[in-house]
Amino acid sequence: MAALPAMRPLGCLRSLMRPSEPITPFINRRFISTAYSKRPQRIPLPQNIPEQFLSQIPLHYRPDPTKEPLKIYPAPPSARKACPDPVAAVTESQLAELDPKGERQALFDYRRNARSVKPGDIVRVVFKNGDPFNGVVLSIKLRGIETSFLLRNELTRVAVEMSVKVFSPNVQSVEIVQRSEKKRRRARLYYMRNRKHDRRSVENVVASYVRQKKAFLGGGRGGQGGRRR
Amino acid sequence: MSPRLGGLQLCSPVWDALITPHVPVRTFGIRSLNPPKPSRFNIGPGLPVLESTSTAALRRKAFSLPLRTGAIAIKKGMTAIFDPETSKRIPCTVLQLDRVEVLSHKTRQRHGYYAVQVGAGWKHPNNVTKSLLGHFSVNGLSPKRHIFEFRVKDQAGLLPIGSSIEAGWFQEGQFVDARSNTKGKGFAGVMKRHGFGGQDRSHGVSLTHRSMGSSGPGQGGGSRVYPGKKMAGNMGNQQNTVQNLKILKVDSENGIVVVSGAVSGPKGCVVRIQDAIKKPWPEMPQAETAEPAAATA
Repeated sequence: MAALPAMRPLGCLRSLMRPSEPITPFINRRFISTAYSKRPQRIPLPQNIPEQFLSQIPLHYRPDPTKEPLKIYPAPPSARKACPDPVAAVTESQLAELDPKGERQALFDYRRNARSVKPGDIVRVVFKNGDPFNGVVLSIKLRGIETSFLLRNELTRVAVEMSVKVFSPNVQSVEIVQRSEKKRRRARLYYMRNRKHDRRSVENVVASYVRQKKAFLGGGRGGQGGRRR
Repeated sequence: MSPRLGGLQLCSPVWDALITPHVPVRTFGIRSLNPPKPSRFNIGPGLPVLESTSTAALRRKAFSLPLRTGAIAIKKGMTAIFDPETSKRIPCTVLQLDRVEVLSHKTRQRHGYYAVQVGAGWKHPNNVTKSLLGHFSVNGLSPKRHIFEFRVKDQAGLLPIGSSIEAGWFQEGQFVDARSNTKGKGFAGVMKRHGFGGQDRSHGVSLTHRSMGSSGPGQGGGSRVYPGKKMAGNMGNQQNTVQNLKILKVDSENGIVVVSGAVSGPKGCVVRIQDAIKKPWPEMPQAETAEPAAATA
């Protein structure tokens, strides 16, 4: 029954003469019935479906009584939190054994302690076996338990340097023989290795210090007391 | 297997006797033209026992497998310890054990060898895959950051699942082997990686002072480069074992184990320590071993 325009009655001629309206597509358009009706609710699945029908339901709708949420157990107390810096803990326990009063630590803590050994001082170290070693302090390395200082001297006209670990049980005493004359502007006096600045032998300074001390103490002991810390 | 009959299951001997002769019996598979015959030479009492079996392999390994499990530690740095007796300075590495627990076991029956799976640290459950999370929760443990296996000789070495390994697991004075990854050096040239000599600074050498030179003779060795030829490439970040490190100090409270000497890898790397295989096994108070039922689980 599709009426062709040519077959329409003449009363519609005016409409035929009008320019035709642009045809609007029906895409993205909703019918009034759709727009104003209630949104359809999803029909809930019937509960307790017999087992033979379960295979017809999508996998994620099937009831799974065996599945339980994973139980996550709490972590035990952490050693890492209890001791965030184990290296420091080991160092501290060592220091408590080797330097219980903290005297040696203070003697070389030249950044904080004004009375400590400083680079440029002449120092006399006596080891456990009784051997002394004298020299100018070239540098002090503050490294916790591995704190050490570098001594320079001249023995039999040969320059000698020795690095001494401060907390070594082999070190019996450290005495300051002579303070540096002027304030050193550097922490490491490696320039003293140059011929121009070399302090050469400090033996005579130390020998006179030892003599004086002996006289002061009444010649009883030597090299053990003094300013040992 | 007897041929199957469709439909009815007929089991009575009467039916069997009636029906079976008429059912054609089909043989499956390819019938060999030369069926295997027992060898004339491989039979006899004086033959050597086969050594290529897994049982033989385990027997060979029995002497070099530790009796008890090891532990996962984190390298925290190096320091020194002054020995009070000899007043010698011993350089040492500080390791820390953090929440080390036994996760599961590997058994000879199920996996072919005995090992203890150990986990350490903690990982946020959101960052753990579900399968691994299930592994933790089944064994009743919190999610672990590091998981490793430690092989042990036999069932007696399987610590019960869930038991924690503290620093006191190791004794002061005993020896351990430390396994860890070395520091990664990236893509390194042959001089750094394999210690090649390099080439001359001068004498006409240009632009190739650190290169490997020729990778092999063209004719005598065949016109190819043998596999394993030392060349430039990725260096470091490989597992390395340092053997026979003495345990100098143990602090169970803080989980600290101090080990003599150096351990491969940067600070913060994972180090696996286990009883040294080249020293006598440490004499330990009898540790309670897992029940056989738990071992097979």
